[in-house]
Amino acid sequence: MTHEPPNFRELVGEDLSQEERERLQRVHELLVAAGPPPELPPALEEPSGEVESPVMLPRRRAGAILALAAALALAAFLGGYLAGRTGGETFNTFKSLQMRGVGAMANASGTIDIGAPEKGGNLPLRVVVRGLPRLPKGSYYEMFLTKDGRPIAACGIFGVTGRTSTVRMNLPRGVRDYDGWVVTREQPGRQGHPVVLTT
Amino acid sequence: MRAVSTNEASDGELIRRAGDGDRGAFEVLYRRYARPVFGLALRRLGDRGRAEDAVQETFASVWRAAHSYRPERGPGGPWLYAVARNAIIDRGRARTEPAVEPPDEASREAGPPERAEASWTAWRIHRALEELSSNERTVIELAYWSGLSQSEVAQYLDIPLGTVKTRTRAALARLADLLEEELG
Repeated sequence: MTHEPPNFRELVGEDLSQEERERLQRVHELLVAAGPPPELPPALEEPSGEVESPVMLPRRRAGAILALAAALALAAFLGGYLAGRTGGETFNTFKSLQMRGVGAMANASGTIDIGAPEKGGNLPLRVVVRGLPRLPKGSYYEMFLTKDGRPIAACGIFGVTGRTSTVRMNLPRGVRDYDGWVVTREQPGRQGHPVVLTT
Repeated sequence: MRAVSTNEASDGELIRRAGDGDRGAFEVLYRRYARPVFGLALRRLGDRGRAEDAVQETFASVWRAAHSYRPERGPGGPWLYAVARNAIIDRGRARTEPAVEPPDEASREAGPPERAEASWTAWRIHRALEELSSNERTVIELAYWSGLSQSEVAQYLDIPLGTVKTRTRAALARLADLLEEELG
């Protein structure tokens, strides 16, 4: 989300020399001006192994499709573990956000619970959706972070089996500059990505 | 004289070693600069897919051109910035723009000099953040880009408020040291 910059006095306290205060104040202003660094997509976490003869790694979307195929296969194998997982384990919610249904899904709703950071910095998410219909074979729901109405990072995919479904996802470390969340319905072979839930 | 380990080496030294074919030096450079390059590409191109391509082109160019780097002409960071900027500009030129109507009024966006300065500032800051310890970087990211107060950061990380304040001030001081040239 886009936030107000933090209060500099609150950050550094009052017991600094004038010189040091000014030095830190300039860093503070640069941090505010720079904005957050982006989260590296998985394809860029390591350098390409082909630097002598540069070969482009698959684009994010291609990687996402492969990941999706694997995820769907896993979901089928586990007999709907992802779909409608109710999550019996404990989850320490730090903050909760509400989502509302859009268009034909106006009666649907959702809750995003953000948990304490995991080792490595990812933020665990628990997403509860209500009133979304089951989808035909091959289709799925996908949740994205958005900025100015455009998706900027995918959080995960899921299906539903009943009126209320709970799924676990992660908010990648470093993704901070977003202003909303959406859930879309994805249908392979179709171009549209209709939004069914939004914050 | 003790040999400088790869992780402690300056950017310029790493570029020089990469120019000699040292893959380990290249990988350290990649870890230091992948996020700043990706951030710069995102700013300029506004598209994650093309920004990813630009990052790969940048580092392929670094590997190919590292032997031409001359330390006496300046430090490694600005050299890498220039390589990245060129790769991103090339990627931008390759874009096939759809036909659009001309705007009715002048853009209120910053002009090229302001954008260039903002990009350079973000580059330096994002590069410096990579030098912080994980604990320090986390408190900075939560304080500046998550909208949390210091008390909320303490609650969020389940650590005392005093520790948050100490880490935050230490992180800002470390960044000031790293950015000394920029602040000077």
